[in-house]
Amino acid sequence: MLTQAQFLEPLARHRTDQIVISAMSLVRAWGRLSKHELDFAFTDSAMGHAQSLALGLALAQPQRRVICLNGDGSMLMSLGALVTIAQCRARNLILFVAQNNTYEVTGNQTTPGAGAVEFHQIAFACGFPEAFHFSDAREYERALDKILYLQGPVLVAVRLEPGAEPPPNRKQTEDTPYLRGSLADAAHRLKAALSNEQ
Amino acid sequence: MLTTRRLLDTFKQIGISHAVGLPDNSTAALFHALADDPDIYLITVTREGEAFATAAGLWLGGQKPLVVIQNTGLLEAGDALRGTLIRMRLPVVCLVSYRGYKSLAARANSPLTPDELSRRDIDSVAALLEPTLRAWTLPYELVSDNADAEKIIAAQQRAHEQNFPQVIIIAETIH
Repeated sequence: MLTQAQFLEPLARHRTDQIVISAMSLVRAWGRLSKHELDFAFTDSAMGHAQSLALGLALAQPQRRVICLNGDGSMLMSLGALVTIAQCRARNLILFVAQNNTYEVTGNQTTPGAGAVEFHQIAFACGFPEAFHFSDAREYERALDKILYLQGPVLVAVRLEPGAEPPPNRKQTEDTPYLRGSLADAAHRLKAALSNEQ
Repeated sequence: MLTTRRLLDTFKQIGISHAVGLPDNSTAALFHALADDPDIYLITVTREGEAFATAAGLWLGGQKPLVVIQNTGLLEAGDALRGTLIRMRLPVVCLVSYRGYKSLAARANSPLTPDELSRRDIDSVAALLEPTLRAWTLPYELVSDNADAEKIIAAQQRAHEQNFPQVIIIAETIH
């Protein structure tokens, strides 16, 4: 099993110009590692819809890769979205599922199917051409560079130790800059950043 | 009569790039036409909440999506709509078909009551649609004929001016 740092720190080192959508317990953790203008904190993910926001971005920006950092509790809320992503053949979408088997931000209550759900198998069954699962930090880090440049959509399930992140909030005093200001401000900033780079 | 041809012409006039949603009986012809249309990319989702989040991503990425769902799906997807198009203030037009619209003739023009929501001759989702849109502060217009297509153009313009989603309720079957 990986720690959250073993999951996110290698990803932050390998990340170049990809859009990164983070949700729930991964929002602050990613914000501590990255200050990129193409980071977007989809704080509560509208209850499990981060992967669909990422799908829309991937289809809109086919020349750019989109990384989605999702939790297992969030992913379970909208498993059907995996079918939609596969159907759309979003080749530039990489969906990470941090599998700690708990609803971390509400105090680590156990998720349904904890320990039994195999997200990479579900992804294959939905039509994803590439899907992986990792529970060893060294294997994950060794594979990461290749995974980020595969023709997707790609799902990467990473077994994590439960953490203790509180719910992500948007407020001016946040130490992670992308959590300052409203979701609307952040959304329109991302759109402007993407427009400027075209 | 409301036709697919008029709707597609209108969508193209306002620059719609993607249609995201789920079909029902009254929008079936529109989905068939969208599937065959070379200019608008159709994304059929498994639940309506996906439609709002996918449309949000498309808009952030520089595209101009349209959401097409039934009123039942709108109620199912309430939090997805709140957490994306509303909370992010995105100017996306949503077409919502009005299942049960004709059954509303059986009720008085007065505040909705619990008894009415369980009456056999009233479709409760129809009775709840407009009160729900008002509660969510979502501007809406009814469209039931080709002559109403101008309302879609006006809704897109208002969405742009207000940076806020707008709803077009489809009150008749599309032919």
